[in-house]
Amino acid sequence: MAGREAVKRAVQQVRPILSVDREEARKRALNLYKAWYRQMPYIVMDYDIPMSVEQCRSKLREEFSKNRNVTDIRVIDMLVIKGQMELKESVEIWKQKGHIMRYWKESQDPKPTDFLSKFIQGIN
Amino acid sequence: MMHAALSQSTLQSPLPSPLLIDELTMIRAPLVKALGALGSPTHQIASRAVRTSAVLAQTPAKAPEKIEVFVDDIPVQVLPGTTVLQAAAEVGVEIPRFCYHERLAVAGNCRMCLVEVEKSPKPVAACAMPVMKGWRIKTNSDLTRKAREGVMEFLLMNHPLDCPICDQGGECDLQDQAMAFGSDRSRFTDINYTGKRAVEDKDIGPLVKTVMTRCIHCTRCVRFASEIAGVDDLGTTGRGNDMQIGTYVEKLFLTELSGNVIDLCPVGALTNKPYSFVARPWEIRKVSSIDVLDAVGSNIVVSTRTNEVLRILPRENEDVNEEWLADKSRFACDGLKRQRLVAPMVRMPNGELQAVEWEGALIAVAKALKQANGQVAGVAGQLADVEAMVALKDLVNRLEGETLVTEADFIKGAGIDVRGSYLLNSTIAGLEQADAVLLVGTNPRYEAPLVNTRLRKAYVHNELQIASIGPKIDLSYQHDNLGADASLIKDVCSGAHAFSKVLEGAKKPAIIIGADLLARSDGAAIHATISEYCQKLNKPDWNSFNVLHNNAAQVGAFDVGYQAGAQRAVDAKPKVLFLLNADAGKVTREQLPKDCFVVYIGSHGDAGASMADAVLPGAAYTEKQATYVNTEGRPQQTQPGVSPPGMAREDWKILRALSEVVGTPLNYNTLDELRSRMEQVAPHLTRLGQLTPAGNNELSAKVTPSKSINGGPIDVKQKELRDYFMTDAISRASPTMAKCISAVNKQQRLNEQSKQSVAI
Amino acid sequence: MAAIIRNLGARIACATLAAKHVVPAATTTLRFSSTAPAGAKPAEKPTVRKPDAAARTHLSDFGRYVAECMPKYVQKVQLTAGDELEVLIAPEGVVPVLQFLKDHHQAQFTNLIDIAGMDVPCRKHRFEVIYNLLSLRYNARVRVKTYTDELTPLDSVCEVHKAANWYEREIWDMYGVFFANHPDLRRILTDYGFEGHPQRRDFPLSGYVELRYDDEKKRVVCEPLELAQEFRKFDLSAPWEQFPNFRNANPPTEVVQPAEKK
Repeated sequence: MAGREAVKRAVQQVRPILSVDREEARKRALNLYKAWYRQMPYIVMDYDIPMSVEQCRSKLREEFSKNRNVTDIRVIDMLVIKGQMELKESVEIWKQKGHIMRYWKESQDPKPTDFLSKFIQGIN
Repeated sequence: MMHAALSQSTLQSPLPSPLLIDELTMIRAPLVKALGALGSPTHQIASRAVRTSAVLAQTPAKAPEKIEVFVDDIPVQVLPGTTVLQAAAEVGVEIPRFCYHERLAVAGNCRMCLVEVEKSPKPVAACAMPVMKGWRIKTNSDLTRKAREGVMEFLLMNHPLDCPICDQGGECDLQDQAMAFGSDRSRFTDINYTGKRAVEDKDIGPLVKTVMTRCIHCTRCVRFASEIAGVDDLGTTGRGNDMQIGTYVEKLFLTELSGNVIDLCPVGALTNKPYSFVARPWEIRKVSSIDVLDAVGSNIVVSTRTNEVLRILPRENEDVNEEWLADKSRFACDGLKRQRLVAPMVRMPNGELQAVEWEGALIAVAKALKQANGQVAGVAGQLADVEAMVALKDLVNRLEGETLVTEADFIKGAGIDVRGSYLLNSTIAGLEQADAVLLVGTNPRYEAPLVNTRLRKAYVHNELQIASIGPKIDLSYQHDNLGADASLIKDVCSGAHAFSKVLEGAKKPAIIIGADLLARSDGAAIHATISEYCQKLNKPDWNSFNVLHNNAAQVGAFDVGYQAGAQRAVDAKPKVLFLLNADAGKVTREQLPKDCFVVYIGSHGDAGASMADAVLPGAAYTEKQATYVNTEGRPQQTQPGVSPPGMAREDWKILRALSEVVGTPLNYNTLDELRSRMEQVAPHLTRLGQLTPAGNNELSAKVTPSKSINGGPIDVKQKELRDYFMTDAISRASPTMAKCISAVNKQQRLNEQSKQSVAI
Repeated sequence: MAAIIRNLGARIACATLAAKHVVPAATTTLRFSSTAPAGAKPAEKPTVRKPDAAARTHLSDFGRYVAECMPKYVQKVQLTAGDELEVLIAPEGVVPVLQFLKDHHQAQFTNLIDIAGMDVPCRKHRFEVIYNLLSLRYNARVRVKTYTDELTPLDSVCEVHKAANWYEREIWDMYGVFFANHPDLRRILTDYGFEGHPQRRDFPLSGYVELRYDDEKKRVVCEPLELAQEFRKFDLSAPWEQFPNFRNANPPTEVVQPAEKK
């Protein structure tokens, strides 16, 4: 009985968001990446940000590789949807310069990790 | 006492006295006890009778027959003599009350606890009426409700409607109960401002603010003063509408426990003076912590708002402080905002201390440590927590230093290897059961006020006989002063003295030694003599040997292997000396070698910081999670209520960071890791709140070389109330404590003047 | 003292429960009110509206009918607060049920008043999505509730009700519930580049980031939150009962049992 329950749970059908298999999800992610990649020069130009296209593309790569370990198809889809939304906001110039520059987190100091620097900064 | 009060009032009061005598009524629940203070033989007999009855009431074995009563139709079995209120509480029915309090004698004068009892023509006062067999008590009948509403109406008739400007608002029993049990409409129609009673406010000291118009005459404060505090300062005068609570003549109500009447007062008549108009109870955050200003380790609640400690209240713990709190612990919290060290400081070549960044300070100390070649010593002061002491010990040991001592003195030599030789072995709660106590060179009233209340409780209810060796002091109860000569100890311990008979005949005898006494040159001999004698007195489940410490760090320091006496650190001639919260001024610059680099770690700019070459600001007890061990050996922890001011850091973290800069990092980064290190050092330290029974002190008695006790008078440091208020860095920084001292001095001047006028 | 009174409150609750079964209610209702105006007729309390019995039967009959018509989707029908009909449906049934309620001649719930979201993190399906419908023809309201989790999409009802467009965008923005086949699903309330969904219960009240204008950079910058002032939190629990008038208010939910088969 318990075994059957386990099998049932393992093959339990969930409703897909967009993609039905890994290959499709991968394709969607790649497409999104490509779309962003192609739009980069325009974004740099339109928003007049103090960054080169190359810098932007490496930031793009960084943002994508943050999620490189995601395997759940539905999570990938959700991320793709959100990425698509951001892309549209950027391309349509709904965003402002500050929104684009937010990706670089310039005014944020990295958090200390070792005891001594945490102690000196007064962070527990 | 009554006569004394009267004679004073006749002398000083401008009113014609005969009237006053007529109307003077004292409400003293244990009346016999109050009279007993007069010392006449008849009264002694009477008081004995009362005590025996109290003992009888406490021992259920003699009254096994239980009787059945019904509370709201729920049957409950209770012992005969149980009051209606207690019987109801047993089935979870709480009856509203104002004057009744579990720890005070029953007064029965507020009438709020009226309940209906079947077949009784009138409602009965639940707090004072013992139940009879088969009674049916109705706590929610129409009659009961109407009685409550009536009482409430009478109370509110003369109670001002000033809740918006009253400090009790939001935590007021009268407010709460008027909401729950009062009538929902008013029949009070006097809008011409003529009807309400008004009473002049009394000035009873810098701690308790009085708004006597709000008083509902529950007499809890009067009973507390005479029963628990043992000071017959408060009483009632007048009757009926003219009744007033007061001190008869203008006088300060200054005992070491005066703050407790604030908690007891069910309305806003007695409120916290330093806290007045500061905050409302719903906007403050409460942190359960413990107190470190004496060695009792009272449980407290720290109230904070916007990173500021506003007030300190007691938290109930039957084993330690019951529900009381001593005044220093309660009111010295404003010292946490004064004199604080907020930035690391290093002494410049011109001799000035200059504020620097943490990096600079740590590097300066590390440089000194590197040059010290192991000639490093540490002194832990009276507010040092166990975590910091363990970290300091580990750091000093890693630097190949050995000398780690506490600032307070104790016996010289190997007397503290066994835990039982420096603890209050009978336990604080256990002292209540003692029937013969000898105090040697200690004044528990000011060194540990809440231990003294236990002794007083035993004295009142348990026929405790108390004798003291030391100066003549007022302990708030009667005791035999055997004299101040140290040779008396030998007499008593050899069994030759008259009091030895009392001790040996007692079921639970206890000898309490003051920690300061053992700092004498013959301290070890005194310790050994008494400890040997206590072996004789011990019962299978009773350890009669007690040491009463007067600072919170001491027991913890001994537990983790510190030695006693700052002199040792001086004798070691260290190159670097750590002062961990050491502010008592036992170590001075002159005693130390010229090239000694003094590092002070602590929270307040006091004696320690002023002589230091580097000052590293630490956290006070309301700002860190830290362990303290109280005088009976109970480890308890404080909780952070606020964050340390400025650049101050938790003490153990300073030592941990310093160790890394020196290049020998201590292997704990978090409090949990440090706690497991503490567990290695002394396993009982992490069993918070629990008492680990100390081993028998037999061993230490043999180890200690038995030197002879030199004669010479025994003295105690805190003899009078004025000595009590400022004993450590926090209370020395507190303006409230300063006000208390000047108030005591003023009162004494007044007393002397009145004595002179009598003489003339 | 607070404990005493709270304790009393609990006992009253027990008493009122008991009152429903055995004890006549009159003995318990007078608990806190004055005994002074004894014998006077208790005043009308307009605070709590008593539902109309006829309306209740109408609604529960209609609910039963909906359940019979769509047994596949309708999981439960209940009345809340006395006279509010709620139809609890499976997530795949959103479009058919709303279509039915809109087009059925006896229902005509043609107005979509609102779509609300609800987050209960401890549940397996942590989000509830609630559709409030109004039938102008019959002057009636119905509430359709369904559930989902973070990753399961719901079908958009834009096809059925045009009004759903922005409401669904709002749910997407605030809770992160994805609506399949929505024509224009993008953020509606939050700022561009905002991360997270603010109405989720695990999203802190103060948020994660704060914005400020940087004078050097001449633009708005975004930084992790640092509260300059203590986060104010009030302890508002009172020892006395706060809304005694609502003690005997309408029950929160009553399940409408399906009609017995004959």
